[in-house]
Amino acid sequence: MRSKVFQNPPLLAASLCLAALTLSAAADDSVLIKNVTIHPVTSADIVNGSVLVVDGKITEIGIKVTAAKGIKVYDGKGLHLYPGLINAASNVGLSEISSIRDTVDLDEIGTFNPQLKAEVAFNPSSEHVPIVRAAGITTVLSLPGTGGNFRGEGAIISGQASLMHLSGWTWEEMALKRGVALDVTFPQIQMPSRQIQQFLGTPARTFADVERDYKLKLEQLSNFFEDARRYAKAKAAGGADFQPDPKFEAMLPVLEGKRALFVRAEKERAIKDAVEFADKEKIKIIIAEPRELGASAALLKQHAIPVVLGDTLSLPLKDDDAYDSQYTLPSQLQAAGVKFCFGTFDVEFARNVAFNAAAAAAFDLPPGEALKSVTINAAEIFGVADQVGSIEKGKLADLILTDGDPLEAKTSIKAMFIAGKAVSLESRHTRLNDLWSSRP
Amino acid sequence: MRLVKSTLCLLVACAALQGESILIRNATVLTVSKGTIEKGSVLVVDGKITAVGRNISAPAGATVIDGTGKFLSPGLIDCHSHTAVEGGVNEGSLSDTSMVNIRDVLDPLDINIYRALAGGLTVSNVLHGSANAIGGQTIVIKLRWGKRAKDLIFEGATPGIKFALGENPKRQGYPSDLFSGGQAAERRYPGTRLGVEDEIREDFTQAKIYQAKWKLYNEQVAKGEHPIPPRKDLRLEPLVEVLEGKRYVHAHSYRADEILALIRTADEMGFKIRTFQHVLEGYKVAKEIAAHGAGASTFSDWYGYKYEVIDATPYNAAIMTRKGVVVSLNSDSDELQRHLNWDAAKTIRYGGMTEDQALAMVTLNPAKQLGIDDKVGSIEVGKSGDLVLYDKHPLSNYSRVLKVWIDGTQYFDRDQDLKDRVQLAARKKELLDKEKAAEDAAKRQNGPGGRGSGGKPTGPPEKKPDTPNPGPPKPELKEAAR
Amino acid sequence: MNNARVFAFWAVLLGALALQAEVPSAVAIKDARVVTVSGAELPKATVLLRNGLIEDVGPNLTMPADAWVIDGAGLTVYPGFFNAMSTWGIPDAAPAPGASGRAAAPATPATPAPRVRGPEDRPQNYSYERAADLVKPTDRRLEGARSLGFTTSATFPNRGIFTGLGAVVDLAGDRGGNMVVRQPIGEEIVLRGGGFRSGYPGSLMGLFAYVRQMYLDLDQYQQAKQTYAAHMSGTPRPPYDHYLEGLLESPRILLPASEAQQIDRVLAFSIELKQPAVLYGLHEAFNRIDELKQANLPVLVNLHWPEKPREADPADVPELRQLELRAKAPSVPSLLSKAGVKFALYSEGADQPADIKKQVKKAIDAGLSKADAIRALTLSPAEIYGVADRLGSVDKGKIANLVVTKGDAFEEKTTVEYVFVDGELFKPTKLAPAGGPGGAGGGPGGAPSPPQNTTGAHRDNADDLDLSSPNRTEGGNN
Repeated sequence: MRSKVFQNPPLLAASLCLAALTLSAAADDSVLIKNVTIHPVTSADIVNGSVLVVDGKITEIGIKVTAAKGIKVYDGKGLHLYPGLINAASNVGLSEISSIRDTVDLDEIGTFNPQLKAEVAFNPSSEHVPIVRAAGITTVLSLPGTGGNFRGEGAIISGQASLMHLSGWTWEEMALKRGVALDVTFPQIQMPSRQIQQFLGTPARTFADVERDYKLKLEQLSNFFEDARRYAKAKAAGGADFQPDPKFEAMLPVLEGKRALFVRAEKERAIKDAVEFADKEKIKIIIAEPRELGASAALLKQHAIPVVLGDTLSLPLKDDDAYDSQYTLPSQLQAAGVKFCFGTFDVEFARNVAFNAAAAAAFDLPPGEALKSVTINAAEIFGVADQVGSIEKGKLADLILTDGDPLEAKTSIKAMFIAGKAVSLESRHTRLNDLWSSRP
Repeated sequence: MRLVKSTLCLLVACAALQGESILIRNATVLTVSKGTIEKGSVLVVDGKITAVGRNISAPAGATVIDGTGKFLSPGLIDCHSHTAVEGGVNEGSLSDTSMVNIRDVLDPLDINIYRALAGGLTVSNVLHGSANAIGGQTIVIKLRWGKRAKDLIFEGATPGIKFALGENPKRQGYPSDLFSGGQAAERRYPGTRLGVEDEIREDFTQAKIYQAKWKLYNEQVAKGEHPIPPRKDLRLEPLVEVLEGKRYVHAHSYRADEILALIRTADEMGFKIRTFQHVLEGYKVAKEIAAHGAGASTFSDWYGYKYEVIDATPYNAAIMTRKGVVVSLNSDSDELQRHLNWDAAKTIRYGGMTEDQALAMVTLNPAKQLGIDDKVGSIEVGKSGDLVLYDKHPLSNYSRVLKVWIDGTQYFDRDQDLKDRVQLAARKKELLDKEKAAEDAAKRQNGPGGRGSGGKPTGPPEKKPDTPNPGPPKPELKEAAR
Repeated sequence: MNNARVFAFWAVLLGALALQAEVPSAVAIKDARVVTVSGAELPKATVLLRNGLIEDVGPNLTMPADAWVIDGAGLTVYPGFFNAMSTWGIPDAAPAPGASGRAAAPATPATPAPRVRGPEDRPQNYSYERAADLVKPTDRRLEGARSLGFTTSATFPNRGIFTGLGAVVDLAGDRGGNMVVRQPIGEEIVLRGGGFRSGYPGSLMGLFAYVRQMYLDLDQYQQAKQTYAAHMSGTPRPPYDHYLEGLLESPRILLPASEAQQIDRVLAFSIELKQPAVLYGLHEAFNRIDELKQANLPVLVNLHWPEKPREADPADVPELRQLELRAKAPSVPSLLSKAGVKFALYSEGADQPADIKKQVKKAIDAGLSKADAIRALTLSPAEIYGVADRLGSVDKGKIANLVVTKGDAFEEKTTVEYVFVDGELFKPTKLAPAGGPGGAGGGPGGAPSPPQNTTGAHRDNADDLDLSSPNRTEGGNN
């Protein structure tokens, strides 16, 4: 990266060294990173510290750490070490150019598709992978749906989302945890705008119409769960005429509380409905991309339901909402004691997830919480806090070296390790930069 | 909220009467053009900056703002906005709609003006969408929230015209059925980049013929002849103004080929491109853009949303800057325009720009591109008192805008906004309660099932057959804008 | 003679006496309270009608022997109400049953129109179309309008952007032509396009550019005509433009402006166009009263006050601007009145004429004096359209358009007893008081009623306020 070179000349050597590492020692996942300010996230910062990584895992953190002979040493003098960031909602790997359907594998046809697995179509060669990585993101949640944005009208369960490491030769290598949640577009009452109705020339829909559709969908969803339960019983009973069904098979972990529903719910009413549904069905849910909390924040706290927030940098829903009503959503959740993390719910801006956390911090979220919301909180919400999300002994060495706070846009990401392996920060974007900067 | 808010803003505005002066002191002053002044002060008198420096004493009667620990920047400028446009940003019907004018449809009550102001934006170049090769006449506004449409217009700023190249203007040559309610949409020339290039040349060819016609007419009249006057053509008039250098061309573009092609058309026809907008492949032809004297108004880091941005790179702004192009970062978005300072910070990450270079991309550079850098864009004596006060450095993603002035008049104040909210909520409740009371009274009067004010029968909804689920409403239909 | 059939009807009723020229040709409303509008109210006076005109008004008139006398005790006589802008009388403009508001031209025409190349193709332009040629007494909305006391309308065609030339029409007559009082009275311009990809103009800015171009073309057209007339030899002949001829004929333009920013915009536009202009809509004018006063042009206030939408999501809290609009729009007439702005009331979507009464009442409740309300529905529109010399007040010599009520007009319990259009009597359909069915039925206290057009006689559902109900029986008078 050109910028790196002239901003921090001593790093040139380090970059080259890392490049060599990636090329020659693909299996080399042990390294000593020294002379850095360590930001473990889950404990106090350590100035001039070192982190030892052996076989991809963090084994030592401290001021004086010695490495066994033969282990590569990375002197990060003046730099900061953070855990790799997590984008907890994206379509990375499944969509290349959002406006060209041929390049998009989102929103499968059908209302209930719990059996679909995001990871199996995750394209390890997607240009987005290195681009997102270059912003310090080591893990993304890849969702199989868009909440209906891609003509996925009517879809309720879009499939299973998977946590993906942004490094690996195949999707199998990249999958950090498969099937972590079911992507659900929860039925909601959404009056179509009059302008759109007029525009499309469709007859005006009354509230009663919309409400009826909503109830119908809710009933469909309940029925599907009911069917799944009957399936589970039949399977347990093991009758001779039991026939396996991939759809219901995929529902079993949900019914057992092992797989959460990732429920997209924008408004207060939808959130309440989802919580009520989860209560009734005795299942785990995560609320995704809310835009209006109202009294639901307390409800979420009460039910210990976590939230994956969408872009803080969004417009208020209504003209007379406070100008910062979306900016302060995270701090409202924080005040209510609800656990949350951030996602971007897209591909093109997936690399900017940290800026949404920072914007929340500009509007009353404590900066430490902002950092947690793109690291450890996401790991906890998706049940991988034993592996990633902080710099702790025993965890995977998903690490980034920066010249400052990774939530600041002006900060450069200087190096990255995923499971201890040095990862290139090159991308189509840097290659184009290098190539065309050299045009005479 | 708009109306009450605008009233409140007017009250605030009244506080800064003509002749009043404001001294912001002891702040970190980011002048953009002349470096940073720690513990600096800025004096604004009669709307203009009259002093910038360390030791400035307040004239009698001046409002003094303590900027201790705070940061002051020039008002931010967005060279590509669609805010405050009422009734559609695209006149998408024809390939050349240069007769339409944003000035006609400015909506000073668009709440996005206020929201942008709350993010430090003070000037916007308001443009059409990009549905056609020539979109129409554009206008530069100051975000004087609470004022009338005519008072938003930036006095003395050269008006523009929007061109568009590439995928958007050619889309209707091979239209999808998305916007036509399932009917086969009508095809419109051009359907290729070749055609877009030709369209613009044809339009200027006509403009020249038109120009000549009027010249002839005026000559004939001067000679005492009695010719029938030519028809005044609102479509060709602005193109003549472009030829005469009285109107700036802002050209939506992505690919290097189309950028270069337009430069050559302009050379051939004898006009200038003032700015290329978006210009995501500008870095490939930065040399040619700089040589033409055009500016580049680009996105900080947009990519991946359509095929023609396949070679987008966030290093674009930095490369073009190094190659001598005046570069600005634009929003093209009601949302993004609220934090252009944060966007500017990305050029430090992607391309190693200095803080001054980064800030200039959302202040002085767009001012240069719009030909208003003698009035705004930096904190200098003689320029307008368009200023933004932040709690932290504006290039920090943790910074928040506290106050915004335009021409020395305070148009945004965070503390005031917080107070106003309480008032607005109370007013809203009052109105809702009143409406509810009236409704209840009507219900009582008419009795159950009677013809209430709503007049809707209260019986069960009409039974409809259980048709397959029609699904949620279709996605918002967005007009091609970016 | 539009009274011919009335006379024939009388003839049948009254027998052999009432034949040919011997029929009584005068009606006297005796000892009623007369709200003249032009002058002081007359607490007890007689209004004498003959040959479709008001022959005389005054307290001590000599009763002509041939006059049919209505006892006006307890009754009030007003000038017939004048809807300042509507499509009344144009049957094709009536919206489909059940639809509310004005019948809008469909966004997507059934057959694709030829491609529009620009304003020179004059898209959506019916500038030349005359309401006077389109009005018919068979418009099913007329009965409802008359029943409420409306005798007159400024009627405009409703197709397109340049909708055509309006006419002041009386709301009854033998045939269309007999209804017309004056035409053309103005060109109504509708700033509404079909939307993105609907053809030019498809946006608000496109509409402005189009209207502006039309008036620039009009300038050039006139100049070209003059130049040609003076120098025919050697000058190429300028083309004839049907559309510009329409604009040439119009004494004024009517421009829409409802929201505050639209009012600013259209005020400026009307100055730019150098056309005498009338603004219509004005719901948010409560924020632009000073500007309107300064502009010194007449305005038409839409009585179709913004209301809470019937189909709204109950959880959806409206925005403050909407709430303010709903709360304050009915105060606009009162504010205009206090500021001295000339205004009249109209009911767009007055296709539910019974609602008009409620809507006028709302304006009165919001501060408009009853007298000003009446004026805004009588003399003011007559003045705006230049027909105050023949309409708008109860004065000798004016057209005999009257409404006779029991009680103050627009009060809830008030009933309309008689309506005269061009001297022709209509016995209105009874509107039941809101309390329930029944109510005031029958004619005034025992006096023999003059022969009349009982348009409501066939109605069997007297408590149904919906006069636009499509299945109701048409009035038999025409």
